[in-house]
Amino acid sequence: MRILRLTQEGIRALLTHKLRAFFMMAGTLIGVAALTAIMTISMGTARKLKQQASKWPHDVIKVNAGGGKGYTMPQEAITTLLPADAEAIQDQIDNLVLVTSVAEKRGLSIKGNSRQTGTNVFSIQPNWHEVMNWYIDQGESVTDEDIATMARVCVLGATIREELFGEQDPIGEMVQIGNVHLRIKGILKPRGVGTSGRASDDRILVPLSTALRRLFNQEHLSYIRMTVRDPDKIEDTGEIRIERTAEEVRQLLHERHHITPPQEDDFSIVHSSIVIKDIRSISKTTTVLLIVLAGLSLIVGGIVLMNIMLVSVNERTKEIGLRRALGATRGDIFIQFLNESLAVTVVGIVIGGILGWIVSILLVKYRYLSIGNSWGLFALIVLFALLIGIFSGVQPARRAAKLQPVETLR
Amino acid sequence: MIELADIDKTYGVGDVTTQVLKGISFCVEKGEYVAIMGASGTGKTTLMNLVGLLDKPTAGQYRLEDNDVVTLDDEALSHLRNRKIGFVFQQFHLLDRANALRNVMLPLIYADRYPEDAEDRAKKALEAVGLADRMHYNPNKLSGGQQQRVAIARALINDPAIILADEPTGNLDSKSGIEILAIFKRLHKQGRIIIVITHDNNVAEHADRIIVLKDGQIAEDKPIMQPRDAETELKELNNKEGQS
Repeated sequence: MRILRLTQEGIRALLTHKLRAFFMMAGTLIGVAALTAIMTISMGTARKLKQQASKWPHDVIKVNAGGGKGYTMPQEAITTLLPADAEAIQDQIDNLVLVTSVAEKRGLSIKGNSRQTGTNVFSIQPNWHEVMNWYIDQGESVTDEDIATMARVCVLGATIREELFGEQDPIGEMVQIGNVHLRIKGILKPRGVGTSGRASDDRILVPLSTALRRLFNQEHLSYIRMTVRDPDKIEDTGEIRIERTAEEVRQLLHERHHITPPQEDDFSIVHSSIVIKDIRSISKTTTVLLIVLAGLSLIVGGIVLMNIMLVSVNERTKEIGLRRALGATRGDIFIQFLNESLAVTVVGIVIGGILGWIVSILLVKYRYLSIGNSWGLFALIVLFALLIGIFSGVQPARRAAKLQPVETLR
Repeated sequence: MIELADIDKTYGVGDVTTQVLKGISFCVEKGEYVAIMGASGTGKTTLMNLVGLLDKPTAGQYRLEDNDVVTLDDEALSHLRNRKIGFVFQQFHLLDRANALRNVMLPLIYADRYPEDAEDRAKKALEAVGLADRMHYNPNKLSGGQQQRVAIARALINDPAIILADEPTGNLDSKSGIEILAIFKRLHKQGRIIIVITHDNNVAEHADRIIVLKDGQIAEDKPIMQPRDAETELKELNNKEGQS
């Protein structure tokens, strides 16, 4: 193949000027590496968020203690979210099916069956199971009577049950948290990893009143969780019901907590459309900025490539004249020089792509990011880099092809 | 074989033009060895560029074998150069970073069909100019005479009908010059057209015809009855060196 022979000539010329070839390649290499890394990481982040969003039930509104925006976690230091708030929400907000209050403490020490371990304590009301759509596997759960009497009872998650009792039947046995002894009434169904990415079966459920008075010695809640009837219904005002309801909850809590905006909220409201908005905003702002930067580096790389090629053409006028005298057509010269630029670009893309992957894998290792991949996006990056390579190569190649052998051989 | 009729060549545009060649006409038949002479500025190089298909005349006719050269486009001219003409330059014009073998193979890249025995052909061409033992040397490791012989091997690789040499001995010492001329003599005996452009009588006297240019016109076109024989001269030179 003639074109292969011509390309080979171009590659030979590159190999004899390795440093020059490296500088020609640098822009493409860095640009592609950066774009690849951005692609894998933003795809990974988007995938992770999408998983969370899909796990997040779309009829649930959660009010966390502590301010913040987007997908927040309850803050332990905030003591202003009270059971009375939950009651007020239940009484005053329309279209709610269930409202349940939770106070949680993570990493408490628990003893039982002469073993000891750490776990997360969730103090709940009986309707928690329905709100969470998470039910009892064995035995029975917390009852209204338990709440009324501040009964010293509990329900174990699958993990903690396994850790403390192994194969034994734990129902009716006792565990101890702090100096409070709790009788095991039931076992929760195993659930695996939850929306927050934490192991959800590492938990113990306690009646809310028992936990607040006897275990935590506090008045306040960690969060209030509620379900909305027909959350997607469009209200007469044109709003989506779940967003409307969330807003009503916000206003009610403003009143109850004596907050006037712009004063900062001491609570935060999470629901599915906020989680989805979160995904969109993350994948937009940062990613767009990074893509613009990496794209610029590709373009600058293309300009450098073009200039080095132009200098190279000027340096090699004699060689070009000689090749023309020996029978090279204008087209042959054009192809040889264009393929020189292209070869550099292709090698830059390959090394850049590999480097990008290595960088993203390292980032994942040290920053706990997750990576994803989209061959479509990667193809787009490659295409973009190739186009810039071709664009930068055409002008020098045309100049080389236009040279008159008579002029150049002197 | 080669037929030029009323060739004009003018450089420049508008009022500022220089006519370098005026009404040049001559024929070169198969098997001729022609020297084109003239002082510098008489249009020798321009004429060589025209004959070598590197440039086109402003007016006139040029036939090379069956081809009406003036009407051909760049691509056709390139192919014709590749097949029919072997160039030998004063400056050798070798690729610095390629060894002798690769330099010799260069014209094959631009051939219509790349021969499968390209490397063997290049080796034979180098053997023919006495460089069998220097095939893998880069030009900077070769003497001037050796470099010019590589260039001749390169000119021969496509087995051209015409060897076109522009001051081939201009950058060489006299012994190397004689060696080059001896090679030309041998190629001439093989039936090729040799056209040497030179201002040096010692070179021109080896041809069997001399065309003298003066002010862009042919001042003289004469046969040489007894051309010098570079092969014998080289033998004598070698013998003399052997004795001393």
